[in-house]
Amino acid sequence: MTESQPWSSRFRPCTLKEIAGNERAIRQLQTWLKSWDKGIPKQRAAFLHGPPGVGKTCSVVTLANDLGYDLLEVNASDYRTKKKLDALIGRSIRQRVTITGKRRMILVDELEGISGRQDHGGIGAIAAIIKKTEIPVVLVATSIGERWEDKFRPLRDVSLHIEYNPVPFSLILMRIRAIAEELEIHVDEDVLELLADRAEGDLRSTINDLEAIARGRTRVTMAEASGLSVRDRKDYTPDALMKMFSAKTLRDARRIISSAHIPYDDLFNWIYENLPLVLDDASDLAEGMDALSRADIHQTRARRTQNYRLIKYMFDEMTGGVALSRRNSDGVGLLKLARIKVAELGFPPSDFTIIESPDGIMIKPNRYLKDDWRRVNEAFRSMGASWVRGGGCWNLPYFRSPQLIWRYRRTWHSRRRRRSVAERLADKCHISTKEAVAEVIPLVKVIFEENEAMARDISGWLGLEDKEADWLKG
Amino acid sequence: MSGGMWAEKYRPQILDEMVNQTEIVSRLKNFVKERNLPHLLFVGPAGIGKTTSILALARDLYGSGYRNYTLELNASDERGIDVIREKVKNFARTAAIASEVPFKILIMDEADSLTSAAQHALRRTMEIYTRTCRFCLIGNYSENIIEPIQSRCSIFRFSPLSEVDAKGWIKMIASKEDVQLLEEGLEAIYEASKGDLRKATNLLQAAAATQEGVVDDVAIYSILGRVSPGKVREILNLGLKGEFLEAREALRALLIDEGLAADDIIRIIYSEVLRLGIPERWKVRLSDTIGEIDYRLTQGARPEIQLSALIAKLALAGEEMDR
Repeated sequence: MTESQPWSSRFRPCTLKEIAGNERAIRQLQTWLKSWDKGIPKQRAAFLHGPPGVGKTCSVVTLANDLGYDLLEVNASDYRTKKKLDALIGRSIRQRVTITGKRRMILVDELEGISGRQDHGGIGAIAAIIKKTEIPVVLVATSIGERWEDKFRPLRDVSLHIEYNPVPFSLILMRIRAIAEELEIHVDEDVLELLADRAEGDLRSTINDLEAIARGRTRVTMAEASGLSVRDRKDYTPDALMKMFSAKTLRDARRIISSAHIPYDDLFNWIYENLPLVLDDASDLAEGMDALSRADIHQTRARRTQNYRLIKYMFDEMTGGVALSRRNSDGVGLLKLARIKVAELGFPPSDFTIIESPDGIMIKPNRYLKDDWRRVNEAFRSMGASWVRGGGCWNLPYFRSPQLIWRYRRTWHSRRRRRSVAERLADKCHISTKEAVAEVIPLVKVIFEENEAMARDISGWLGLEDKEADWLKG
Repeated sequence: MSGGMWAEKYRPQILDEMVNQTEIVSRLKNFVKERNLPHLLFVGPAGIGKTTSILALARDLYGSGYRNYTLELNASDERGIDVIREKVKNFARTAAIASEVPFKILIMDEADSLTSAAQHALRRTMEIYTRTCRFCLIGNYSENIIEPIQSRCSIFRFSPLSEVDAKGWIKMIASKEDVQLLEEGLEAIYEASKGDLRKATNLLQAAAATQEGVVDDVAIYSILGRVSPGKVREILNLGLKGEFLEAREALRALLIDEGLAADDIIRIIYSEVLRLGIPERWKVRLSDTIGEIDYRLTQGARPEIQLSALIAKLALAGEEMDR
């Protein structure tokens, strides 16, 4: 039985001492849980957040066990709406003990699966539950960037927040060495160090890696370890995409939903942004875009009906639908664009070596760039590449992050001016602002660009501010 | 040469100045003479004098202070029927005391863009304030106006202008503005605007701004290349050539930088697709796709995703033509 279990669950810690690292966070959690012995504390919920695979859920489960709690585990991604959350949790927060007399507590896991915007009331419902709960509620969110914090704000204000950190290299190394010893597999120290080094503090994924190269062997050397691929993690969304785009089955493609560790609507945008960089064959692209447009429909339906059962169809279309459209394409992410960029800058292709490496696209100059360096650097950086110090080259991820947000930021001022000019035109010309934007402003822009006298006249007539007139001049 | 936008400068101020829609104008003049009018519903395509007629009627009725007795709302700019009702309430609850006409006029442009629920609410409001206020609802299609409102209004159907009338209007403005408009230029303006005089006049003014006196067809086409339909055509052509990334960039510029509404873009795309030099079969196929997208957008789908899917499909038409 235990034999067939994945190692990451088989070697899951059973006692607090076995959890590697994050002692402080665990102590905080323990103290808070024990404070319930003396009645309901001020903060009725604990909000655990941190990178994946560092023992957040694990420490809750272990502590609950130690302190004799009956734990109700809820996966937030499965109960995304207020109604469903209320139905599931709302009742249990008033029953302090189970039929058998055990104390109860609630764990809401994978909170990042709730997207603040779309799940009308999802976050709000949890906040409401926290306010009236009579039993401990623990919230767990895998958060990597700062950017999710906004949506969790209503929760963070009413809960004790506990931050988990990456597990240190030495602890990961110790842990996997111990596992290897227990399984009587001889793993070379080099390999163990490589694994721990790649881990970036994610113990669970390191154990998975170890299993991938060591299961069924008695001895593991660097030769076996060379096949390790880069792990899907938030920092590696480009790699997760690479896997998805090369998937041959729906099942494999769909894996990105759980492995990418970013909210699915962000993931959708990543896929949309990069799909044309992979599907460079016309019919593949048409099919892939069609799948994506249908994914969009499924999402719209799920949102409109508040029925998130429908979201799985979106997942299928945006992953499998896109990946399986790839038949005649051989696009490798930004590779082609990198070559175009070199040509645009006016260099012959021979001036640069552009090759695919596991970590990304490597762009290496073949000659001393001198004064051109700045220009080249700027161009590659604008594509998302970073200069590799000491390596004498740029490294460009295969895929780029969604560009939309930048466009909105870049155009903020001009969009504001457009709006105010449109409002004046609408008023003066007895039309809607929508029509002013679509029909009149483009022509007025032509006038402002070409004819100063007429521009001044219209400017006065509309009562435009200088900035608005300047904007029209372009 | 002064006075802002020519379309406004030459908008007829009183009913007597209106040269087109003669039958409607004479009926409206009758209302002025009687010092009374029913609720009005003006329907017809854009730029043929609907708003002009009601503004002119108001001026004839109230004199130069007409603005005190009229309120212009544009349904597409108002946020929801509640806001509209509030504005109507504030406007209509006071009688037009200073005037010898016992009512005010509320002009609701693009009334056909209101949902039917909003129109039902509007109907109630119309009934409540009937004593102090007349409503003039304006729209493109009477089909989009609910029956109960239609039955409470006197309906005026504005007919599209004839080619001769439209061209006559454009020539009149050109001569008053000292623009030498060549016959080919006039033809090109008419081709692009049909009977929409506002569009035609704006186009003429932009062309005049770029030229030293003489406006020919080349001038007009160069302007048309710089406005939305021209940009949409550019996107479609990039799509046909399989330049998806560039086309998507241009689409984003239109949607975000230029702030064009998705339904405007889809309307332009539809008319431009029909003009593309692609196999006729493909026009039908693309029309079907556009129709599907149009519907999806009404259901809340994301415009950029849906339109990108259309662009990707164009490449297939392009490939077939190359073969």
